[in-house]
Amino acid sequence: MKYLELALDTAKSLGADYADIRIQKSKTEMIYLRNMSLKNTSVDELFGYGIRIFKNGAWGFAHSNIFSNDAVIQTVKQAYTIAEQSARLKHGSGLKLAYERSYIDSYKTPYCIDPFDVSLEEKVELMMEVNKTLLNYEPIKQALFTLECRKDEKLFGSTLGTRLELETVYIEPMFRATAVNSTDSQSRTFSEGGKATGWEYIQNLNMKEKAEIVAEEAIMKVNAESLGTETRRTLILDPMHTALTMHESVGHPTELDRVLGWEADFAGISFATPEKLGNFQYGSKIVNFVADNLIQGGLATNGYDDDGVPNQKWYIVKDGILNEYGTTRTTAPLIGQKMSRGCNRATNYYDFPINRIPNLYLEPGKVELSPQDLIADTKDGIYIEGMGSFSIDQHRVNFQFGGDMFWEIKKGKKVRPLKKVLYKSNNPEFWNSVDAICDKRFFKTFGVTNCGKGQPGQRGRMTHGGATARFRNIRVGGSQ
Amino acid sequence: MKDKMKQLADSIKKYCKADDYAFHIVESQDLHTRFAQNGITQHINGTNLQISLEVSFDNKTGAAEVNQTDEDSLKNLVKTAENLAKLNKPDPEFVSSETAHDLRNFEKPAERTLKLSTKEVVDGIEKCIANAKKKNAKISGISQKNITSHYMETKNGFNGYDKTAHFSHSMTMKKGGIETKVERSCRDYSDFSMQNNIEQLNSQFDSLQEPQKMDYGRLPVIIRPQAFLTWIYYLSWTFQRREADEGMNPYTNKIGKRFFGENFTMRSIVDDPKIQAPRFNFNGIPTKNIDWILNGVIKNMQTGRYYAKKKKIAPASIFNVVIDGGNSSEEEMLKMVDRGIILNSFWYIRPVDMKSGEWTGLTRDGVLYFEDGKIKNAVTNFRWNEILHNATKKIIALGPSQQIQYNAKVPTVLINDFNFVDVTTF
Repeated sequence: MKYLELALDTAKSLGADYADIRIQKSKTEMIYLRNMSLKNTSVDELFGYGIRIFKNGAWGFAHSNIFSNDAVIQTVKQAYTIAEQSARLKHGSGLKLAYERSYIDSYKTPYCIDPFDVSLEEKVELMMEVNKTLLNYEPIKQALFTLECRKDEKLFGSTLGTRLELETVYIEPMFRATAVNSTDSQSRTFSEGGKATGWEYIQNLNMKEKAEIVAEEAIMKVNAESLGTETRRTLILDPMHTALTMHESVGHPTELDRVLGWEADFAGISFATPEKLGNFQYGSKIVNFVADNLIQGGLATNGYDDDGVPNQKWYIVKDGILNEYGTTRTTAPLIGQKMSRGCNRATNYYDFPINRIPNLYLEPGKVELSPQDLIADTKDGIYIEGMGSFSIDQHRVNFQFGGDMFWEIKKGKKVRPLKKVLYKSNNPEFWNSVDAICDKRFFKTFGVTNCGKGQPGQRGRMTHGGATARFRNIRVGGSQ
Repeated sequence: MKDKMKQLADSIKKYCKADDYAFHIVESQDLHTRFAQNGITQHINGTNLQISLEVSFDNKTGAAEVNQTDEDSLKNLVKTAENLAKLNKPDPEFVSSETAHDLRNFEKPAERTLKLSTKEVVDGIEKCIANAKKKNAKISGISQKNITSHYMETKNGFNGYDKTAHFSHSMTMKKGGIETKVERSCRDYSDFSMQNNIEQLNSQFDSLQEPQKMDYGRLPVIIRPQAFLTWIYYLSWTFQRREADEGMNPYTNKIGKRFFGENFTMRSIVDDPKIQAPRFNFNGIPTKNIDWILNGVIKNMQTGRYYAKKKKIAPASIFNVVIDGGNSSEEEMLKMVDRGIILNSFWYIRPVDMKSGEWTGLTRDGVLYFEDGKIKNAVTNFRWNEILHNATKKIIALGPSQQIQYNAKVPTVLINDFNFVDVTTF
């Protein structure tokens, strides 16, 4: 804490208009198993601090891994000098920061068993058991399992007087089986993404049982037929699939920095411009996208963001209409908003916090409806599970998605597995084509731990969710 | 820095009791100046340090990484890696650490790059913004300077040090529906001309007025170097020997055979001072000139140390990209086909099917339609789905290979019948 106060005092004495410091220790355990061979078993620890200085409407940021009075003072001075250089080329007449009060608080991810307290032996044994199960099937030529556990401990202080102590933890297991026959190779994956929780999550996953299904479906898939020519069809998408479509076609386009053109050179901009707020029909009337950084297990549920703004819940799309964006203290004032929605997050201590997607989910339907009911109610369509190929343009309008497992539906029944299915759609066609969403009993979440954004690139985290949903009249076909 | 790294190495070795070890000390000094909509929005300066260690007891391995240099942190680094190894299961694919190698002479990074100041970087961006304002446009991008020092040592005698530096600049100018980008990097900042980059940006920008809608389908395409390089990066990612032998990518049983187009050659090289080549890769393998694809024939593929040992071949990884060029100018290419399009960039390339080698992606940063040997007008963007190795068999002509990044040299290429499957709706 003494370095935190020293940094802020130094920043104030230099004349900073605002300053904050994030002292962050990040510990990551990664285990990677491929065909019973441990390719990586590592524990990495990163410890350092990043200092932001806001001066004359511009930012400067410097970071260091050296903890001494001299190093802290030097880093503050570096950030200040850089802020002065930035102010030579101000954005507009200079950036402004949205109002925020000060907080003295702490937050810790709720969990029962700290994943770092579980022995390596237990973890590796579980992974090997799953690997063995997959490789017991002769056509399975590659069995992968990755397990990642990460803990971030942060001290945040700002010249507003905010002092925060935050600890977050997540676990992400993923395994995949690749089946090979004489002409093809196809994979099937188990993944629910990352979850902000303890080892108890892994204990309740029944992964060995799931491994059998994964292996069997990989074999089914490699021997399946692919779909022919592209035609307009009905799609039923499971929540592990829509997690990716909502991430790309709703999450990113509603990050306010993209809307403002701040990502124009790299990740791209957004079609969802401010004049569309409150009137743009983003989806059908049953489509509601909720931003919820308070949801339990959510990867963006951190207590506070890296602006020191508390986690919140709000609608991004309400009754199908574009309602609001994900914002930060720097971006919110640029569209006249007085306060930030708390979406400013950095990954490591040396990263500058950027406008990130919040936890974002598709609200379940209000009428009782199961995935089985939905299939039974569909005469002709394709059911897609999990994530596959994905690609979207730089305005976040036109996209093409694949999936992990595909089934043809005829007369209300899943009749055969398929492979190499692709669909093309766009905003606003896609979300406006939703005519049914299963109810809250079938709500599932997927935690994204590898959202690439920013220059230099950062690996952001957030959770998506939803229940199985039906999309009408989408262009669906097979790959070459 | 090298002396400081050696001191850290001595401490690690002092504490390490494992049967085998390999460690890396990597220091990276960075300046990232990001600008958007004609102003600086993000400005970062700092030094990162990674000390990573992999140890083994018999064939049980463990690894750890820290970024602190005090003795307690180093002791803890060794203890963590050793404890993991002791608790771990044996690895049936274990390979002991790399032995000593004669490395190429150390080349000091360009002084001009090392001394490049924050003020000079901001001065460069100021010119870009002034140019955009003259065009009544908005400019966004990033200028970056990086200096990386890498020290590696193993128990079996490998000892290597390297230091590299580069400068990169990327900018997108946008006005209404017109957006275009120029991206360049170099080892020596003396080789970089902001004025040339601005002129190229202006030339692309001026050519893109009033884009028209155009139908998709199979079309001849002139792919400019930056776009072609993006495609090559993705192709390189899956160019893996083991996966080929295991039947998981398109290259199964294709090594030594002509599987790409006859006029397609890809190498990594160590003897061009303008193209960065590390002295050794992260496994401690010295880099050397290597042909990956020679006149369409697969000569070598990326291979890890375990699999290389098993197959009794040399381990290899792609460390820079050089695609051999030809003699055709863009003007000549326009006349080689009846009609087609010219691309500046590809965007969001992703695999569609690993086994067939089919990929998808979009065009970005400006598309031009040409007919009867002349550029007619700008057109809106396309999506494509294409089997990339097959596309190289449809290469009609190549331009001279140009250095566009500090680690890449590629030509403009004219390809027939590229498979465009959709148009964007903006």
